[in-house]
Amino acid sequence: MNQFLDRRNFLANAASGLGGIALANLLQQQNLLAAGQSIAPKIDPSRPFAARPPHHQAAAKNVLVIFCAGACSQVDTFDYKPELVKRHGQPMPGAENLVTFQGEQGMLTKSPWEFKPRGESGKMVSELLPQLAELSDDMCFIHSLTGKTNTHGPGENFMSTGYTLDGFPSMGAWTTWALGTENENLPAYVAISDPRGTPQSSVNNWGPGFLPAAFQGTEFNAIKPLGNLDVPDGTSVSTDKTTRQFLKRLNERHLKQFPGDSELAARISSYELAARMQLSVPEVTDLSTESQTTLRAYGADQTENPLKAQFARNCILARRLLEQGVRFVQLFNGAYQTGGEGVSNWDGHKSILDQYSKHGPVLDQPCAALLRDMKQRGLLQDTLVVWMTEFGRMPTFQKGASGRDHNPDGFTAWMMGAGVKAPFTYGATDEFSHKAIENIATVYDFHATILHLLGLDHKRLTYYHNGFERRLTDVHGEVIKQVLA
Amino acid sequence: MILIVLRTVGGFGNDAACCCRAFVVLVWMSVCAGAVDFEKDVQPIFRDRCIDCHGADEQNSQFRLDRLSVMLSGGNSGEPAIVPGKTEASYLLKLVKREEPGWEMPPDEPLSDDEIGLIENWIADGAAVPENYGPAKPDVELDHWSFRPITRARDVDGIDGFIELKLQEHGLQCSQQAPRHVLIRRLFLVMLGIPPTPEQVAEFESDPRDDAWQRLVETVLASPQYGERWASHWLDLVRFGETDGFETNRERPSAWHYRDWVIQSLNDDKPYDQFVREQIAGDALGVDVATGFLVAGPNDIVKGKDPKLGLVQRMNELDDMINTTGTAFLGLTTGCARCHNHKFDPISQRDYYSMQAVFAGVQHGERPLPLSDEARQRLMEVNAEIADLTQKLEQFIPNEPLASTKTNAADADQERRPAVNAKRNVERVVPTLARFVRFTIEKTSGAQACIDELEIYSGGENVALASVGATASSSGDFQHPLHKLEHINDGRYGNARSWISSSDSGGWVQIELTKPVMIDRIVWGRDRQSKYSDRLATAYRIESATVPDQWTLLASSADRRPLDPAQTADQKYQFVGVSKDLEDRGRRWLKQLESSQALKAKLEESQRVYAGTFSQPGPTYRLYRGEPGATREMVGPDTIQVFARLDLTQDAPEQSRRLAFADWITSKENPLTARVIVNRLWQFHFGTGIVDTPSDFGTNGAPPSHPELLDWLSSELIENRWSLKHIHRLILNSRAWRQDSRPNRAALEVDANSRLLWRFPPRRCEAETIRDSILTVSGKLNLDNRGGPGFSAFAVQLENVRHYHPKDKYGPEDWRRMIYMTKVRQEKDQVFGVFDCPDASMVVPKRSRSTTPLQALSLLNSNFVMQQAEIFAKRLTDQSESTSEMVVHAWRYCFSRDPTPEELADSESFIADQGLTQFTRAMLNANEFVFIP
Repeated sequence: MNQFLDRRNFLANAASGLGGIALANLLQQQNLLAAGQSIAPKIDPSRPFAARPPHHQAAAKNVLVIFCAGACSQVDTFDYKPELVKRHGQPMPGAENLVTFQGEQGMLTKSPWEFKPRGESGKMVSELLPQLAELSDDMCFIHSLTGKTNTHGPGENFMSTGYTLDGFPSMGAWTTWALGTENENLPAYVAISDPRGTPQSSVNNWGPGFLPAAFQGTEFNAIKPLGNLDVPDGTSVSTDKTTRQFLKRLNERHLKQFPGDSELAARISSYELAARMQLSVPEVTDLSTESQTTLRAYGADQTENPLKAQFARNCILARRLLEQGVRFVQLFNGAYQTGGEGVSNWDGHKSILDQYSKHGPVLDQPCAALLRDMKQRGLLQDTLVVWMTEFGRMPTFQKGASGRDHNPDGFTAWMMGAGVKAPFTYGATDEFSHKAIENIATVYDFHATILHLLGLDHKRLTYYHNGFERRLTDVHGEVIKQVLA
Repeated sequence: MILIVLRTVGGFGNDAACCCRAFVVLVWMSVCAGAVDFEKDVQPIFRDRCIDCHGADEQNSQFRLDRLSVMLSGGNSGEPAIVPGKTEASYLLKLVKREEPGWEMPPDEPLSDDEIGLIENWIADGAAVPENYGPAKPDVELDHWSFRPITRARDVDGIDGFIELKLQEHGLQCSQQAPRHVLIRRLFLVMLGIPPTPEQVAEFESDPRDDAWQRLVETVLASPQYGERWASHWLDLVRFGETDGFETNRERPSAWHYRDWVIQSLNDDKPYDQFVREQIAGDALGVDVATGFLVAGPNDIVKGKDPKLGLVQRMNELDDMINTTGTAFLGLTTGCARCHNHKFDPISQRDYYSMQAVFAGVQHGERPLPLSDEARQRLMEVNAEIADLTQKLEQFIPNEPLASTKTNAADADQERRPAVNAKRNVERVVPTLARFVRFTIEKTSGAQACIDELEIYSGGENVALASVGATASSSGDFQHPLHKLEHINDGRYGNARSWISSSDSGGWVQIELTKPVMIDRIVWGRDRQSKYSDRLATAYRIESATVPDQWTLLASSADRRPLDPAQTADQKYQFVGVSKDLEDRGRRWLKQLESSQALKAKLEESQRVYAGTFSQPGPTYRLYRGEPGATREMVGPDTIQVFARLDLTQDAPEQSRRLAFADWITSKENPLTARVIVNRLWQFHFGTGIVDTPSDFGTNGAPPSHPELLDWLSSELIENRWSLKHIHRLILNSRAWRQDSRPNRAALEVDANSRLLWRFPPRRCEAETIRDSILTVSGKLNLDNRGGPGFSAFAVQLENVRHYHPKDKYGPEDWRRMIYMTKVRQEKDQVFGVFDCPDASMVVPKRSRSTTPLQALSLLNSNFVMQQAEIFAKRLTDQSESTSEMVVHAWRYCFSRDPTPEELADSESFIADQGLTQFTRAMLNANEFVFIP
């Protein structure tokens, strides 16, 4: 139909491509100094999501981020401190003048959940998450993460975008901008929000920032469908198809006036892609083909804990998306603040025992089942799984409360799957799990490592915006080589 | 070429006299060589260990050890490397002594103690260097193109002369003029953001006058839709939003005034220099609304108790103002100098903090505007009405039933009192002598209880007020900046002045009066302003004591009726037991009172604008690496030193700082301001600016494609009283703008992006234009509903952290221009947000333009578009006798032309087959509909 639309021609013209997306790259190519080092992905405007080569051999093709919103306490989950048990109920040295987010400190307080050695590695993990604990041998823990903020919104921004401020591209946006996706019939980047709602800084977690809007994460989950996907009420599928064919004729006649204009051609292609998505998305979100065994394994059949059952369905959805080659999946556990702190997420200020007793079971079985399922299906061979939260919590209880305040000075994340060493533990906090002291890692290092595993050099993955060559890692970050397999 | 000579040395600070003195000392030192001989003892160390990276060939961190001026001023860190005579202030020593983690120098082997000793002694002795190390203060030439004065080329054929010259150099030429129907469509979409009506197209196509185009341009420039369209570009650029952003993302209900001010300023063709000045210092110029610019960005309102965090947040707020001012007006990335000297442009870290001192007194928030005479008059009238009605209604206030002191409801021997309500509850009690009054919450409607004010009356006097000496205490407070214990008796109502208990049940708040007093009434509420009804105490008891802990029950919820969720207002007036006539009058008065009170609130509301508040700031310091703890020397308010000086003292009055800064930006000598704005106008006309990095005119930005043209337009702007419409007129009347947009293969091969303008570059419309165009062709766009509070794309859930749920039903209130859609940060409109709509988190000088399947799904399937497709179909039916007529009408509405026979035939058979709504649905999705031709 249109002789200029084919890929060969596009590549020939790539340096001066006409398309909207290509414009941004152009800026980079024209922009001299800092861009000298950067590698801009070559994006075909008619196929913005086509798979693109990484900078170097990638260990992982896809990513699953499991994000526990509200700041899940490392003290009560993965960061075992015998000294904290011993000094339970005593003041923390130096805490008398320490003012954290909500104020003054109470006493050092051991976790209400007992820690036990797990698997062959004997990693100490608490009873709060017994099923995840059993997967410790497959996990690579980083106990020495440090953040830059102790507020939730900026904390989520920092973990998901590398900046505490609003408006920067999310890790998934960077990844899909660089790499496209293996399956163009599904969104390249999906954010599965918690059944209770979006996380605290909402869309920022999967926003495109200043990258082209095409690379924004698409939000849906097992109960909330993708918006505007369905054919409008009163329009039959066959009518819809005929209308799209009529539209295509309109557009092709118009294109004859503008031969070679790839932005117009790209728009025609986008309608075809949309039509394919209308078939693929309902298919991937339809869990009715899952066996009873699978539903039971994830806890999706649990009627006594409907929240857990809903989250379990999100976990199954995550696996199905990854199976279909979706590049980047974010699975949120915990939503925005509603009904008070820590009610709908991991923000355990008030009474950590009560609050986490509700949240632990929701996360544990479904998430563990997801990881076991992925392992069994061989998905972990090319998928990197990353568990993270906005920051850690204090080893003390807050003065006058039975919960823990925010603590960005030493917290835990773990990785699993493609390219990472396991069982392995990197870095450590002090004797109470207050501050990172050994192999201190920044969030920048963490992000640099994730990009590295995807075959991307975080220093060369840059995008020119408003006078800056921006990176996910700002001007910081070193790959944590020790955690690479 | 004219050169500007730089007269400052960063390391010695502002004081020129000080520079000279130091220089003299240095020269003197070099004459009387001290204990250390530089050339013999120190220079070899530098040569062997440092010069490879910090010398003539390479200057890592922009630092070199073979130039005195750089040694004194230091590199990117902003720290003076060498301070003669002051070893402790010399950053170089810190690095070689390896006292700065991550910056150990040299990076490989450390210097020996002897070597460090030699350098230390040399600095202590005055750090003398030979003459070939150059002067202490360099004469820097500002030779980057945008820093040079604007030079106007003479004898040129306007815009087209410059464009055609460049085209010829590349063997290209302009395309022929586009047909009239294309021209008018382009003109309307670019300038007004809506398509022309078929009548407007027909009129222009048949206008026989020679100056038909010029007349049309004037009509368009005079249209109020011009300001509505171009304000959208400006609001992107200044990150204007109507919520706070971050996790709470609270509304800023009075921020829209600034949006309206921008629209009005553009429509009035306010001189651009004045437009700029008012945004920075409008409070000094009688245009208060305009400073909405300063605080248009996101603001983290969750402050926490950690003082470190608070400082960082404040630095971020100021950084947002500095950076937005620098990029929007000057095209300079001033924000780069926050942590170190700018890597590419002559902006030192010290300059950055000088600019911080300019804005240091600006805080986020609403500011009351001076009342207009008219509003003041109206307010007086309304107050009189309220007083009159209140008096008339007094007779309907029943004697509040006495609260029972029985704690079991079954025992309550009298009639039940009304259920609690969120607004205001009165507890009339048996007069009791009390020193302490405690309100204990036993149960709530959900979460921890909130009380906005607890009033205790002795006769007519509220004795609980902190202002009369009463003190509040509690069992524990919910931690939040809006909810504090001190709010419980501060005499102010509403959620933002309320207290929340730290526990769901059993929490209490207590007032201690100054002395024992006979009390007869206690009044409390959740939110006297009726915006919130959650967190209501539904079961409670109120006790009093004259000595601590000897409590007597005064009142409780036991004798109240159960909570009725439908009832939120109090029932202060009751119309029972009076004649029907009196009852009717009473109810009418109450209605009048309520509407007067609403009017009063509205009049007062319109006086508050989210335009920032101002206060005299304390001193500003340069911060080493931008870290709030690492204060260095004090700096006063100033501009970027290489360009100009403000001559203000360090404690200059707050407003004078902004005013002086604004005057500098808009002075005719400033080479950047005019260039930056004409380039932006050019960009929004042609899709790409003459400079393709519209907010970076520094040395790292892109060079101009047509430098002489840029300067010519800049001088036109300044010479024509900074009139933006004058520039529009020049551009719109050029041949370059009026040429055809169709491509040709030969030209594409030379210049695929049409940067040289061998054609008018076609492009997809922005989200706003697509939405407004759909409403225009359906006939539903309400162009008369201009200004004022915006309409919402969301149903807002009023939690502490706001949640925005996209609407999926639309009515006439939504059919305004999209510029009036309340700009919620982060959350984008569900249908049109995917068309690269910025979310106002960041300044956006140029939107990305992507093409995605989600855009296709939105335009094909959304309720919004389907509803409009139906309305459009009905419009066509109403206006046509036949299907072919409908098609012709549709073509004229959507594409500003008639269909070809092929298009007509295809459409007719499609309509016969699938119906008219499917046809209109397709039309609204067509490329031709959403592209600027």
